[in-house]
Amino acid sequence: MKQLCIAVLAVAMLASTTVLGGGKITVKGSDTMVILAQRWAEKYMVAHPDVVIQVTGGGSGVGISALINGATDICNASRPMKPSEFDKLKQRYGTRGVEIKSALDGLSVYVNAECPVQELSLGQLRDIYTGKLTNWKDIGGPNAKIIMYGRENSSGTYVYFKDNVLMGDDYSSSVQSMPGTAAVVNAVAKDKAGIGYGGAAYGKGIRELKVKKDPSSPAYSPTLENIKSGNYPISRYLYMYVRNRPTGTLKEYIDWTLSEEGQKVVTEVGYFPIR
Amino acid sequence: MKQGILLAAAVFAFALPLSTRAQEQAATKEELQEVKDALQGVSESAAEYRGYVDALRKIKISGYLQPQWRLADVDLWPSTPSGSYPVINYPIGNFAGGAFPSATKNMFQVRRGRLKVVYDNVLTQFVLQVDAIQTGFTTKDAYLMVTEPWTKTFGLQMGIFNRPFGYEIAYSSSNRETPERARIYQTLFPGERELGGEIFVAPPTGPLSFLRLDLGVFNGSGPTANEYDNYKDVIGHLAAQIPLDGIGAALDLGVSGYFGGVRNATRNLYTMGTLSNGSLGYTVDTTATNLGAGVSRTYYGIDAQFYIDIPSIGGAILRGEYIVGKQPNASSTSTSPSAQVAGALYQREVSGYLIYYIQNIGDHEQIVVKYDSYDPNTKVGAGDFTSANTSGATGLTSTDIAFTTLGLGFVHHLDDNVKLMFYYEMVHNEKLTGITDVKSSLYQYADDARDNVFTFRVQYKF
Repeated sequence: MKQLCIAVLAVAMLASTTVLGGGKITVKGSDTMVILAQRWAEKYMVAHPDVVIQVTGGGSGVGISALINGATDICNASRPMKPSEFDKLKQRYGTRGVEIKSALDGLSVYVNAECPVQELSLGQLRDIYTGKLTNWKDIGGPNAKIIMYGRENSSGTYVYFKDNVLMGDDYSSSVQSMPGTAAVVNAVAKDKAGIGYGGAAYGKGIRELKVKKDPSSPAYSPTLENIKSGNYPISRYLYMYVRNRPTGTLKEYIDWTLSEEGQKVVTEVGYFPIR
Repeated sequence: MKQGILLAAAVFAFALPLSTRAQEQAATKEELQEVKDALQGVSESAAEYRGYVDALRKIKISGYLQPQWRLADVDLWPSTPSGSYPVINYPIGNFAGGAFPSATKNMFQVRRGRLKVVYDNVLTQFVLQVDAIQTGFTTKDAYLMVTEPWTKTFGLQMGIFNRPFGYEIAYSSSNRETPERARIYQTLFPGERELGGEIFVAPPTGPLSFLRLDLGVFNGSGPTANEYDNYKDVIGHLAAQIPLDGIGAALDLGVSGYFGGVRNATRNLYTMGTLSNGSLGYTVDTTATNLGAGVSRTYYGIDAQFYIDIPSIGGAILRGEYIVGKQPNASSTSTSPSAQVAGALYQREVSGYLIYYIQNIGDHEQIVVKYDSYDPNTKVGAGDFTSANTSGATGLTSTDIAFTTLGLGFVHHLDDNVKLMFYYEMVHNEKLTGITDVKSSLYQYADDARDNVFTFRVQYKF
């Protein structure tokens, strides 16, 4: 039986060494990055008609799960992977994955265009979103209850804001979860007492607030200069993750997204190039 | 008069549409208010449902099922001089996924059928996991976990959960690339889990975030039995994770300790020594204070896992663990006791190790080689077993024989949920060349006993 079992195992192993790679790339993850990823894919497929790139969103957490489960080639994430997620990748694939910083983003804080408040500190934002600060009059606005809009907990933006603005504290239960940046912007545009956060957005009816690190610091807008210089306090990298060091078609595509042409798309979409 | 009539008619003609428009406007305003009210109602309902959904999101249900078919490499009906129907004694015992019933060398079974419910409130967790297989239900995990809210570094865990020792214990059977854990783990830590409480220290950020310490106090009687003595066991594991991103690799290291005791129900304590005939065997200490005393159950362990990304092929994993210690139990077994041992205790010095090599091929295939060794009595070797020291209370038994297992496996991940495993284990025992009497129960170990096992397993996990 020993010889038979070893022969069966050998055949199974040989059969497994079939196609590694191909002309199809799947991309899944961050909703913040979905437009950017789609633009990249569209441009790349025009120049490389033999390559098919499928892009879907769902949130950074969903993308990372898909990467761990083998359901996507590239995971887009608007937050870094957590140690527990690296552990899962290690256990399943024997690698920590490869992290690729693909763009810079300033996380904007929006208010309604009619809101008189111009700037907030990180501490004030934390107090608002944890439910300690509930009325606009306490921060220079009208006597009105602050209506908070945020993202769903599968979103990397949700996690990034929680970790870097709320400093790990829990969101107030009054925060209304929205399925994407566009939904947050729409809600704030219609709500004079609204406040929201998300990726760069230039919607009608909203205004981006200046943000300062602490009450005594100067406040900065989320502009390219301020984000690159590190003055704007809630900026972040946008990442691509792959399981293994990329080769073949996958490597060529990732290299292209980081090229001058790929980074031009980053600017067109409203984010900031990494080089 | 005529002018007055004309004026009145003009006013009426002008006012009528105004009045109609005003009515229409009022109606529109009313309808708008109704829509606003309705929208407000929907918003309030949505907020209420959102509350329910948020609460439900905290409940996480997962599970996995492992039906399998096993084939043991034995002669089912070997000829015997008497012609009687022989009872097959599988030396593999329970170690390859459960004992084979006598006169059976192949069988289907559900090895594990797990359902796990977690209520995850971020800093507090409730965890309950049951195992439902053909022989019944058992509780696998039942614990709570609380992390302090200030630094999120320290936490408490209490209930039934994995013992904090080594790597393979806590590595889920659903993720493991081989059907079973190594023989030494199955012997020293049956069921992997234990009843007790532990504190853990795991800095989420900062320069020490690569470290994790788990330190707990446990009954020491296993996961499914009540405590039977007054001795508690202390178990600890310190782990470090070292990323080596420059070469696409990572190294994880750990050290473990187990400091416990097993109550002696007699005044007799057997340890290895030299018998009166000069052979190695068990000598007995009959000191009166042995009665009720705790006999040391102590293990030390080190573990290491190395991960490296091999371009164009896939990630490779090399895992190793080494354990050494003292193990008290009866003459007939070195498996950790789950109840009071009725007779005298035998304290053996044990050691063992395991090595895995796993090579991923692409995203779906894995090739596995595993080698493990367990020596339940490091004081004797294969050549020490003779007819002079293998009988009576002081004699060596099959419990003292060392085993090694070489396993070759192939794992195919069909999709996110399903994986197929083909695994063949070649089990080798020490060859007791000094046992020449065919009537001896140890004679089957004079050569390598036939007890290799092939396992085909399908797993569904969600």
